[in-house]
Amino acid sequence: MGVTCVSQMPVAEGKSVQQTVELLTRKLEMLGAEKQGTFCVDCETYHTAASTLGSQGQAGKLMYVMHNSEYPLSCFALFENGPCLTADTNFDVLMVKLKGFFQSAKASKIETRGTRYQYCDFLVKVGTVTMGPSARGISVEVEYGPCVVASDCWSLLLEFLQSFLGSHTPAAPAVFGNKHDAVYGPADTMVQYMELFNKIRKQQQVPVAGIR
Amino acid sequence: MADVLSVGVNLEAFAQAISAIQALRSSVSRVFDCLKDGMRNKETLEGREKAFIANFQDNLHSVNRDLNELERLSNLVGKPSENHPLHNSGLLSLDPVQDKTPLYSQLLQAYKWSNKLQYHAGLASGLLNQQSLKRSANQMGVSAKRRPKAQPTTLVLPPQYVDDVISRIDRMFPEMSIHLSRPNGTSAMLLVTLGKVLKVIVVMRSLFIDRTIVKGYNENVYTEDGKLDIWSKSNYQVFQKVTDHATTALLHYQLPQMPDVVVRSFMTWLRSYIKLFQAPCQRCGKFLQDGLPPTWRDFRTLEAFHDTCRQ
Repeated sequence: MGVTCVSQMPVAEGKSVQQTVELLTRKLEMLGAEKQGTFCVDCETYHTAASTLGSQGQAGKLMYVMHNSEYPLSCFALFENGPCLTADTNFDVLMVKLKGFFQSAKASKIETRGTRYQYCDFLVKVGTVTMGPSARGISVEVEYGPCVVASDCWSLLLEFLQSFLGSHTPAAPAVFGNKHDAVYGPADTMVQYMELFNKIRKQQQVPVAGIR
Repeated sequence: MADVLSVGVNLEAFAQAISAIQALRSSVSRVFDCLKDGMRNKETLEGREKAFIANFQDNLHSVNRDLNELERLSNLVGKPSENHPLHNSGLLSLDPVQDKTPLYSQLLQAYKWSNKLQYHAGLASGLLNQQSLKRSANQMGVSAKRRPKAQPTTLVLPPQYVDDVISRIDRMFPEMSIHLSRPNGTSAMLLVTLGKVLKVIVVMRSLFIDRTIVKGYNENVYTEDGKLDIWSKSNYQVFQKVTDHATTALLHYQLPQMPDVVVRSFMTWLRSYIKLFQAPCQRCGKFLQDGLPPTWRDFRTLEAFHDTCRQ
């Protein structure tokens, strides 16, 4: 597990989501990256049940339950700006039992699927973000395996991102800022995906076209 | 010569000790025979008991005598020589099939050859130092001249000395932690952890570095049975490259008369990798080239370069 940066790639003007993805992957292949199977990250939203909120009138917090094909035996549960729990996949069954406290929001499932590329020690995952039937955007994840401290290798990651994202290179993810020199972990990647999904949810829905 | 003689004496003592063991065994079995047979038929019960006890006593005495003899001989034989210059490989000389596997004689020849080489290299370096223009280097040459018959001692340094040198280096660099272990006899193995960047396994022979392997901070450096894994390489291309460069550095830092300086310079060089992912190349100013950061560190200036930018 190395340092990972997750970002969103805007859809190119006059092109569909799928065409933009193809453009990106072609660029990666020209760089010398090799295809290495597929990946999938999904996220389901739960909100605290009305019965448990009580009369104080507090707003229900949202909880996100996520899976990542890179860690097939784990399940991640996160609150926005809050703690992140890493559990076994059995956690899903537990959530069913906790129906009285957490209710899954209807049609809230959002996921990204795509191809995994390896270039030297970099791992690049370009995915199409879908929510229900519609493609909503493109996610780009870049992992640099050898390094474990985010602040150490950000400039290096940035240079690599620039080499194939060009002008769409993202700013440093927020999780990098408050880590100092702590060891980067899988949960930090999931926080980035959660933030990306939330950003995409708020965006205007693009017309239903070019679903993979 | 004295060595050969003492070996001869030892061999004789060995032969005696073996026959003493045989004597002891037969006397012990006599004791058990006597017990097994029990009391023989004699006219009176008293006579029977007396004869049995006398017999038993005799046998026990002889066991005691044989045991004392064996103990005396075992002192003569002495411990198996631990200070053999070839360590455990000296035991190869016990292999009876000399013709098929002439390993031991070859080993001796190689050892002699390497000793001679080191001796000559030492002399040559002394002479060369005298010709140097630098005053400090000149003094070094003089001190080397004072003991012209310096034996190749660097191969058989006491472990305590090696420990001292390593712990001094460990204290020198706060961001570097060195863990020393001796899993296979006297040769030390070091596990060097450099910040949160990388781990290095260093295999030493006395104070000479035989082999180094560089791995990532999050990579496993132990085998399944908990020993340091000195054979497998890193999964990451960066660290494979750094391993290559570290091996080059081992060949570069050579000073046969002062092996501790060699280890210290190597560690100083290794420490410059603390900025492996943070330092751009000093020539092209970039971080990446073919997907790799600047993996080369100059031996003098410790500046970072890509492998292809360093010429």
